[in-house]
Amino acid sequence: MNAPLLSLIVFLPLAGAFLIMFLPKGRPAALRIVALAFSLCAFGLSIILYFRFEPGTAAFQFVERARWLGFGIDYHLGLDGINLGLVLLTTFLFPIVLLSSGTAIQDRVKEFLIFLLVLETGIIGVFLSLNLFLFYIFWEAMLIPMYFLIGIWGGKRRVYATLKFVMFTMFGSVLMLVAIIVLFTAYHRATGLYSFDLVDYLQLGLSPGLQMWLFAAFGLAFAVKVPLFPLHTWLPDAHVEAPTAGSVILAAVLLKMGAYGFLRFGIPLFPDAVARLWPYLAGLSLAGIIYGGFMALVQKDIKSLVAYSSVSHMGLVMLAVFSLTFEGTEGALFQMLSHGLSTGALFLIVGMLYERSHTRLIRDYGGLSRPMPVFSAFFLVCLLSSAGLPGLNGFVGEILCLFGVFRTGKILAILAAGTIILAAAYLLNMFRRVMQGPVTNERVLRFRDITLREAACLAPIVILMFWMGLYPQPLLRKMDASVSRYLQNANRNPRILVNKPLPAIKVPTPLRAVQPAVEEKDKPTHE
Amino acid sequence: MNSGLALIPPAVIVAAALVVLLLEACFGKAIRDSLGYIGLGFLAACGFFCVRSWNKSYSYFGGRLDLNNLALVLIGLLLLAAVMVILISFKYIETRSLPAAEFLALLLLALAGAMIMVSSNSLLIIFLGLEILSVSSYALAGLHFQDQKSAEAAAKYFLLGSLASALLVFGLALLYGAGRSLDIPAVAAALHGASSLHLAAVAGLGLVVVAFGFKVALVPFHMWTPDVYEGAPTPATAFFSVVPKVAVFAVLIRILAALGGPGDRGGPFFWVLAALAVLTMLIGTLAALRQTNIKRLLAYSSIAHAGYIAVGLLAGDYAGVVFYLAVYLFMGLGAFAAVTALSREDAEFLELDDLAGLGFKYPWLGVSFSALLLSMAGFPPLAGFLGKFYIFSAAVRQDLVPLAIIGVLTSFISVFFYLRVIVFMYMRAPSREVDILQENPGLFLVLFICLLGVLQLGLNPGNILALIRMAVIGL
Repeated sequence: MNAPLLSLIVFLPLAGAFLIMFLPKGRPAALRIVALAFSLCAFGLSIILYFRFEPGTAAFQFVERARWLGFGIDYHLGLDGINLGLVLLTTFLFPIVLLSSGTAIQDRVKEFLIFLLVLETGIIGVFLSLNLFLFYIFWEAMLIPMYFLIGIWGGKRRVYATLKFVMFTMFGSVLMLVAIIVLFTAYHRATGLYSFDLVDYLQLGLSPGLQMWLFAAFGLAFAVKVPLFPLHTWLPDAHVEAPTAGSVILAAVLLKMGAYGFLRFGIPLFPDAVARLWPYLAGLSLAGIIYGGFMALVQKDIKSLVAYSSVSHMGLVMLAVFSLTFEGTEGALFQMLSHGLSTGALFLIVGMLYERSHTRLIRDYGGLSRPMPVFSAFFLVCLLSSAGLPGLNGFVGEILCLFGVFRTGKILAILAAGTIILAAAYLLNMFRRVMQGPVTNERVLRFRDITLREAACLAPIVILMFWMGLYPQPLLRKMDASVSRYLQNANRNPRILVNKPLPAIKVPTPLRAVQPAVEEKDKPTHE
Repeated sequence: MNSGLALIPPAVIVAAALVVLLLEACFGKAIRDSLGYIGLGFLAACGFFCVRSWNKSYSYFGGRLDLNNLALVLIGLLLLAAVMVILISFKYIETRSLPAAEFLALLLLALAGAMIMVSSNSLLIIFLGLEILSVSSYALAGLHFQDQKSAEAAAKYFLLGSLASALLVFGLALLYGAGRSLDIPAVAAALHGASSLHLAAVAGLGLVVVAFGFKVALVPFHMWTPDVYEGAPTPATAFFSVVPKVAVFAVLIRILAALGGPGDRGGPFFWVLAALAVLTMLIGTLAALRQTNIKRLLAYSSIAHAGYIAVGLLAGDYAGVVFYLAVYLFMGLGAFAAVTALSREDAEFLELDDLAGLGFKYPWLGVSFSALLLSMAGFPPLAGFLGKFYIFSAAVRQDLVPLAIIGVLTSFISVFFYLRVIVFMYMRAPSREVDILQENPGLFLVLFICLLGVLQLGLNPGNILALIRMAVIGL
């Protein structure tokens, strides 16, 4: 069997959206089932990917390649240990999000489902593209459905939040487009060939000066998405105003696209620039951890508390990424997945609370565990996972990240580890004020405990949290080979350096000879 | 091949205009409704001829009328534009009680002028074509003669347009003095030559560029655009936004190709055009940010798009320019078709506020209009993105990185106002009752074609790009 698995996973949701477009809007329940079915199919296929993934090789697997527009603009998808987990996370969360929106979204269900499915296609496409042009298309195209999701189904300040989100992200990415074109031109001048292919670009030895410019452009796009510290201001607005489904996807998957961009493109393509800039970037990440933590401490709104906790957690991920160590990188990858699960779950939980009370302010709650004991247990597990309790997934990621950070700078690691305590502080404090203590508001006693639908949303996440926390080996071992190849790229010694701004960049000839061999190695893997 | 057949395309169109006028004069009201179909028939005949004469390069008047492949591609674009404008205008003419025959005849005459421009090799004939195009356009703009705004548009268009024509004539005179000929190759030779008259030739070319700048609304010669676009009947505005651009940029491509590329980097011509392009992108985008009238907003957006096309010219990427023109044809016509849909017998809904809630009330109109706006803003995978991508990548290849950066930054800013229109359509509650004519098959056909075009050119432009590249190779 040689089905184009990756393309199927990418485009199944889009096909679902297309189908829904032509179904009558009068029967929302049927539409929801169709959407759920399509996203579940995508998830099922990605499970197949997980089991057929060959952990021993660093080469891209399940590679699909086809000519598209010519001049190096090809359709090129591939999977390795770096994006495997992220694809799984995305396909895993989308059915849950679709399920959870069953009660929250009551009007314009059809449009909502269409946008959500298109969004899924865009996100998976970003994670799987190996052609920079294709990557950019998915990267940008994904903004449109998110723009509508926040703008139509969001809260009071939704228009402001959604425009801010799109404008911030666009600002970063238009410059990345120019940088991609410059890379394309440089590759063409060096080899006479047209290519937008990541694998080809990795052979390119760019002068450090040019690398700085290009890294600045790529880095800006990714840093906005992560978000790194001074560029984070869109995030609380977007998260707070977005509907629950939007917040979950934003926090759990969209932020990962930024970190993934650094891991896949930013760092391997421009190692010299990273070598020079990493102290500053690590500093910004650390600032993000501390700032996000303290901001989360003082939030009155549960949703913005979780949003700021994302800033803080993603700061730790980025710090580990910039450590450029094996543990750090695996930790960052693992932490991305576990942050996706725990923050996604927290946003789901906030959404469930909001549906009951129509308020997100902490002071309106109190003593909720009395009317809602089961719900409270779920909440506590997700919260502790986010705070990094040993035995749950968050701990594995954080400890690996800190190992990596410790190897590059002890002070950094001490500061980072110290501020992680903040996470426990703000999360537990919030839990205490919301779920425990005396009932301050009589209304809460009438809240019903967790419904079946809600349990169906949270249970898979909680099971995964335990699994990833207790037995992370299988997932981590699938990353090994790719991470070590990534680190070779990131730490490689300076190659042929040319100081002219653009032209005359030489590709070492042996590498060019190797190139087809790499592709041939790829081919058998997807048979 | 020297053959009178080169005369056929403009001749057919002029004949169509005359037939339409005559029929109206003879049969009056009885035939008014079918005039549009007659026009479409002539356009189709002309299109058929163009397809048949591919690769034959008919020329006439000693090569001054030169129907090469590029001209055929551009004539094809012009025909498509005219077909769509006619389809848009069917219901509009009826509900707004415009004189149908005059509208059609003027439209066809303007089209004939544009065709002459794209297929001519002599600046004098180009001038004739431009005058035919312009004079018909002035009248088209003022066709709503009871409406003050329409009259104002016509007057403004006429005054500034004739100023531009005067400049063009003066420039042509200088060029003729320098080169003893107005054929483009001879003019190019005069510009390259180091004769004492070189300065006159440069000045002449400068004036020609300024005049053309007026016609395609390059900043700072854009003052007339918003008012004319706003005042003119909407189908005519759709026509103005596309056809003069195609015609004038075709002429500029011919001139630049004859000069052998955009010229030496230090040359005055290059810097003038670069400055115009930068100003056009910046001012067009920034001014559009403040518009509340949808027609004015689209006017400024069309100015900004002219700036992007100028960047493509500077980078010498003629295929990119033609591709962008094709893409803009769908985006511009589609957007104005959507605006045309927002009209009724007694009112046109042209303020952004009127759009509130429209996306849900008329889902197909909303989806198409949004897709076209997103394409203009340059969101992939729509065609606008690919058009900009080709132009900016050509600019980077020619080491014009600053131009490319200004281009992407202005297109980033433009995202804001395009999205604002969508904000109104989908994210605001309606403030006043807007109900529009829904039985308008021609218009919705155009919207559908434009949506399809934007998707097709964005996702799989293979054949069309190949055609354009083939056409451009001959230059």
